[in-house]
Amino acid sequence: MMNRLNLAAAALALLLTGAAYGAATDSPEPTRILPYPIHQHVLDNGLNVVTVPFDSPGLAAFYIVTRVGARNEVEEGVTGFAHFFEHMMFRGTDRYSKAEYSDALKSTGAAANANTSQDRTEYHMTGNAEMLDLMFELEADRFMNLNYSEHDFKTEAGAVKGEYTKNFASPYSRISEKLLETAFTTHTYGHTTMGYFEDIVNMPNQFEYSRKFFDRYYRPEYNTILVVGDVTPQRVNALAEKYFGAWERGDYVSEVPPEPPQQETRFTHLQDGSIPPYFSMNYKGPAFSDQEMDMPALDVLSSIVFSNTSDLYKKLVLEEQKVRFIGGGAGDSRDPNLFSIQVSMVDKADMGYVRAEIEKAIAKVQTEGVDASELQRTKSHLKYRFAMQMDTPDAIAGSLSHYIQLTGDPESINRLYALYDAVSQEDILEVANAYLQADRLTIATITEDAKGPFE
Amino acid sequence: MKHIMHTLRIVAGLALAAAAPVALATETVELKLENSNKVVFKVRFDNGSVADPEGKEGLTYATATLMAQGGAGGVAYADIQDALYPWAAAYAVNVDKQVTTFTFQVPADKAQEFYPIVRNVLLAPNFDEQDFRRVMQQQQNYVDQVVRASSDEDYSKFALEHQLFRGGNMAHLVQGTSQSVQGITLDEVKAHYRRAFTRNNVALGAAGNYGQEMLEQLQAALATLPDTAWVAPEPSRANPPNGIEVEIIAKEGAFGSAIFTGAQLGITRADDEFAALLIANSWMGEHRKSYSRLYQKIRETRSMNYGDYSYIEWYDQGGSYQLPPSGVPRASNYWSIWIRPVQIAAQLQAQYPELADITTGHAHFALRLAIREFDLLIENGLSEADFEATRTFLRSYIKLYAQSPSQQLGWLMDSRVYGRKDYLAELDALLARATLEEVNAALRKHWQTDNMYVSIVTDVSEAPDLAGSLISNAPSPMSYSNLVKSGLPEDVLAEDEAVATYPLNVRKVTIVDSSDTFPGR
Repeated sequence: MMNRLNLAAAALALLLTGAAYGAATDSPEPTRILPYPIHQHVLDNGLNVVTVPFDSPGLAAFYIVTRVGARNEVEEGVTGFAHFFEHMMFRGTDRYSKAEYSDALKSTGAAANANTSQDRTEYHMTGNAEMLDLMFELEADRFMNLNYSEHDFKTEAGAVKGEYTKNFASPYSRISEKLLETAFTTHTYGHTTMGYFEDIVNMPNQFEYSRKFFDRYYRPEYNTILVVGDVTPQRVNALAEKYFGAWERGDYVSEVPPEPPQQETRFTHLQDGSIPPYFSMNYKGPAFSDQEMDMPALDVLSSIVFSNTSDLYKKLVLEEQKVRFIGGGAGDSRDPNLFSIQVSMVDKADMGYVRAEIEKAIAKVQTEGVDASELQRTKSHLKYRFAMQMDTPDAIAGSLSHYIQLTGDPESINRLYALYDAVSQEDILEVANAYLQADRLTIATITEDAKGPFE
Repeated sequence: MKHIMHTLRIVAGLALAAAAPVALATETVELKLENSNKVVFKVRFDNGSVADPEGKEGLTYATATLMAQGGAGGVAYADIQDALYPWAAAYAVNVDKQVTTFTFQVPADKAQEFYPIVRNVLLAPNFDEQDFRRVMQQQQNYVDQVVRASSDEDYSKFALEHQLFRGGNMAHLVQGTSQSVQGITLDEVKAHYRRAFTRNNVALGAAGNYGQEMLEQLQAALATLPDTAWVAPEPSRANPPNGIEVEIIAKEGAFGSAIFTGAQLGITRADDEFAALLIANSWMGEHRKSYSRLYQKIRETRSMNYGDYSYIEWYDQGGSYQLPPSGVPRASNYWSIWIRPVQIAAQLQAQYPELADITTGHAHFALRLAIREFDLLIENGLSEADFEATRTFLRSYIKLYAQSPSQQLGWLMDSRVYGRKDYLAELDALLARATLEEVNAALRKHWQTDNMYVSIVTDVSEAPDLAGSLISNAPSPMSYSNLVKSGLPEDVLAEDEAVATYPLNVRKVTIVDSSDTFPGR
């Protein structure tokens, strides 16, 4: 297996040189899960422009994927900053004050918003395709010329605190914070996208850093423009040239420290009796790749072993009814991340039993692998599920955005599904043994007790 | 000759009877999309939680959930899921106050194989004891714990609804109450199915690439549902509050104050006037939009929370959805304001030394600010420019409500509940025709702030002082950190002063322990 960090670095290097896809590619590949051509055009400044024409009369989804997220928050005291900065992007420019920006945005009649995750920040507008010119103008202006006052900067931190406050009501949010900081000692995946509360409270003091942040990441090489719907690539490319052509390339490369290998099972616990007893088993998994078989094989494995049709689900949820919910799978991310199995219990006394059942199911895959017919059924499931979801410009753009954040290339979607088709019983046996091991495991628990049940 | 003609007519009639299904009480909504790769069926029963018998709150939810998450046609639930798995076909049910909607989705090339499952789920649920235990355990858990623990925002929203409709059939959670769910038996579920899921209150919709023959088959099958006479229960109307009545739900460990406030509204989508009020509401508090008034005043200028919006009808799962989902039509209506969690005193004290002496957080100020904005709008009306900009926005924005085949079908089916054919198209025409005078007349007719219900979910430490502040109409100056305060413009500070002492017609404030919420109707 190729070293994933090297792979990610290689992909980034290709992207920075603008040579990843050539000047313009319309890619006909043999096995394509997405039944629409993906048109890509790279501007001279390195900005990749992706267009997918789709039969949605009068409607288009316009996304900008900025490949910066909590992962890039490497400096001390700035956890949550990528997300915070997403908020600042709505605070105006010299050309459009924040009030004028709001009015102009309203005039597009679009559903517009933004969100941030570990690996990326995503800005999206879905609306009238005829308004695309204005959408491009507004986005280019703020991506190139964002200019907010120090007071606005300080004020916006309150809204982020409000977001943390609303999320904090859920014990699941609180355990997620504890889980990440236990599982990752070094890598920035050790903090949530929201960041630590003390860093959020201190954000108003980070004005200077925010300008640096904008200068580093709001550059063509970190961004991809994506338009899906009632459009042509000619029109989209022309708009991109017109509004983003003058955007200057940057040179900052984020150095994310790799996570050292874990040596033994770790535990974290939250005392909270307001929800049913809960635990999650989180194994260090691979990074996303559209070249290696690891992640596709783990995706297939998780569907077979942990989905609603799995033997485990039937036994624990349907028959014995000791478990309210069980699910599992690996999250796609640029660097190695967690393969998580989550369980909501009926009675905390059964936690040990349920954990043992899960470990038994894993041991069975590690020794016996999976049934050939179940493998075929799962491949069919994955393909049909994807095809049925792709019925609006927004759904297609959202899906392509996911793969753009991971590799920079929307064609990853087609490559991934080609890999799903090729997953073998041996691949599943291999990844089960490579990743689902006790020395890669962190267990997070929530019960009414002060001490976790497994510690 | 006459005899032959008569015979021919009979034969023709028989042939027709064989091809055309027995008519259902409502017309099937069809949305044929030849290029679609899937088929969507929606089957709606006009029952909802208002059809729960008194003391059996949650019975409609239990029945529908057992149909959707239990075995059917003699086949175990696990085996049905196994059959669906390779096609990624799925079905689910949503229960609201007045309707229960099943949605079935399948790849078009698997529709034939899927059909018997659709039929059996609706017509031949197993109502198996083991499935029943599992479904009821989940439902019990929701009403006992989840509703109070997972989101303070939703908690305050449901608590507001309970205040508005207390004593009536609209009050209780669709999942029921802790006590009522415990008492639901499998026999009651079976009886409720026969009584409330009938051929006389069912509506069918189809979207995507379905075959006409299958649609007719399904129509015919639904016509064999129990022929029980069905009289839809009249949904109760919102209570008239005496002044502003506040309930503060004191919860251990709450991080902020989550606020919902509202009052009865006499119109719905069925009324043309609704379009005019929609323009006023969009300007004031369009859901999740940064350019509406409440958002700009409370979040953007003062950064008190994550967002602030207003509504003139139920908006399902507003914390998750950016655009309104279909499937929640309601005849009994109210308007509301959603103020997302604001800071409590204990948090502010811990964060900023300069706020060490404050006794209450931001809830009172935020409530005053929101209500004052409504009062100002009622007094001044919307300006011509704001009216035009908002109307233009809405005429584009409402087209985004129904993008996927399933969404399109859902909005079309909801239209019929309100006596309309295509609500979104008709709404666009109404918006196009609306005048500024109509908008201002509508908002003055339907909005007032003297009599409202308010629900606040907050920390136990915050509740007593907040209650005292509200009932005494005490000044509630905004407590900024020094960092923010130093840069605030004069006009904001002046407005803060006006807001801090803005009189609210608060007549009653009650503190309720979190464990005592949702006692019944």
